Amino acid sequence: MRGFRIPFKYQLLTPMVVILAAIVVFPLGYSLVISLQDFQLSKIGQQQFIGLENYINLFHNRSFWMALRNTIEFVIMAVSIEVTLGFFLALLLHNKATFLRGFFRSTLLSPMFITPIAVGLIFRFLTNSQLGVIPNLLEKFKISIDFFSPKLALFSIALIDVWQWTPFMLLLLLAGLESLPEEPIEAAQVDGAQGLKMVWYVILPLMRPIILAAIVIRMLDAFKVYEYIYAITRGGPAGATETMQYLIYRTGFIYFRAGEAAAMSFVFIFVITIMVLILFYILRGEAMQE
Amino acid sequence: MNASQRKKINAIVILIILSIYLLIVVFPYFWTIIASIKEPAAINRPLDFNFTPTLDNWIAVIQAGIPRQALNSLIVGLVTVGVCLVAGAPAAYAFSRYKVGGNKSRFLVLLSQMLPPATLIIPLFLLMYQVRINNSLIRVVISHLTVLLPLVTWFLIGFFDEVPRELEDAALVDGCTHWQTLLKIVIPVVRPGLGAAALFAFVLSWNDMFYALILTSVKARTLPVGIAGYWTFRGVEMGQMSAAILLAIVPMIILSFFVQRFMLRGMARGAVKG
Repeated sequence: MRGFRIPFKYQLLTPMVVILAAIVVFPLGYSLVISLQDFQLSKIGQQQFIGLENYINLFHNRSFWMALRNTIEFVIMAVSIEVTLGFFLALLLHNKATFLRGFFRSTLLSPMFITPIAVGLIFRFLTNSQLGVIPNLLEKFKISIDFFSPKLALFSIALIDVWQWTPFMLLLLLAGLESLPEEPIEAAQVDGAQGLKMVWYVILPLMRPIILAAIVIRMLDAFKVYEYIYAITRGGPAGATETMQYLIYRTGFIYFRAGEAAAMSFVFIFVITIMVLILFYILRGEAMQE
Repeated sequence: MNASQRKKINAIVILIILSIYLLIVVFPYFWTIIASIKEPAAINRPLDFNFTPTLDNWIAVIQAGIPRQALNSLIVGLVTVGVCLVAGAPAAYAFSRYKVGGNKSRFLVLLSQMLPPATLIIPLFLLMYQVRINNSLIRVVISHLTVLLPLVTWFLIGFFDEVPRELEDAALVDGCTHWQTLLKIVIPVVRPGLGAAALFAFVLSWNDMFYALILTSVKARTLPVGIAGYWTFRGVEMGQMSAAILLAIVPMIILSFFVQRFMLRGMARGAVKG
């Protein structure tokens, strides 16, 4: 043992690297192997190597394409509303003249700290056509909306996501606003910039990298949407709200087709990576223009 | 209209907008509280406030499995957080102080956040079955670590970055070993960061349902899985469900008041650098 020692900096990393290798890297590799097999959870021990068949079959699997489209639509709807609303609220809360700032901040941020399944169930309760307070209130004005009809369901789920996660956007953007350099803003004030002009020509360009980072972080999380769907629609009506995370869960753990589910999950990662790369490309492209 | 009048009007408009948004945020909480003290018959009349409050729902929930499930969630959360700190803090220190792998490695750690749980659950489930990890709670802890260990490490890097190097150099000159320097000098300085990371990770572990749903046996459910059961298997018991939901979310909202300030700081650093 003497004479050989792991350098200190690698000693520091060892526990994390060992754990992540065992519980993330190795399982991912194993999953890749599963995805090349006809692997049924109900018949463990009888799996057969079938090459790329699981992947090829996905091409004409309609639920797969529908779930992929639903997921992307959901992410775009939810994240675009969240970033717009979050930025607007962050500007208001950043304003030092705002009355009761601390109170508003801590209350408005609270939804991001509660378990999504509770949020899903609460909103299912609020919008229930008989028991729900929202349909009952709307009835007084002779309005009737079926929030979870085939056309509206995905949008309604996106709005629930907006309720829970706009606070997260608000937190990131508020942190961004608080870290902005003061000189450009003061200089613009001296030049007479005020209100909307100030926001549009000074604050927004300064905030652009932070906004893009916030969008990427939120998108990565929104791709994983699952609990609201589990709580409310279970993918219905007729697959209108089935997202990738839910479809993979259903394929693997309700239909026991682990091989197919694993193949889906790798295609899903590929799609996520492409979307993140596109966003980074936009980010870099814009940075180079300046 | 002079400048000070305009300022006043501005302030009032901002206050009104924030109050409307506040109402949207708070109303679902308010309604859940109301439902938790209504009898089943009163729940069928949502707009009728003429009801006698009752604690029946709360008593039923406490006598059912909820306290046990809360205890399970607590155990899972504490063990997960413990491992995250013990393994994550030294790694974060290595990234911050020794720039292991350069600046890119800090983002490599975050890459794991791109993995959807749906991807990891299949191999984790099968591997745990094959190596016979029969304890539900250990299975859930392992699954939570896949997400939280990288996240905690990344979160801590920023706090280690702020430790003045002179402090460490002085300790080394005085004859401390590297490990002594880390444990006795550096860790106490970053204690607020460790606390914030711990609370943050605890909240995320407590709130998870996806992994816990698949990896726990019926006897060892965690709280989010437990509350999900109120609408699906036992029919609709809105009042009890509301009480159970409140037991799951109120502690986290209280904890959030302690972490928000630190998260604002941590995020500001992370976002600016990111």
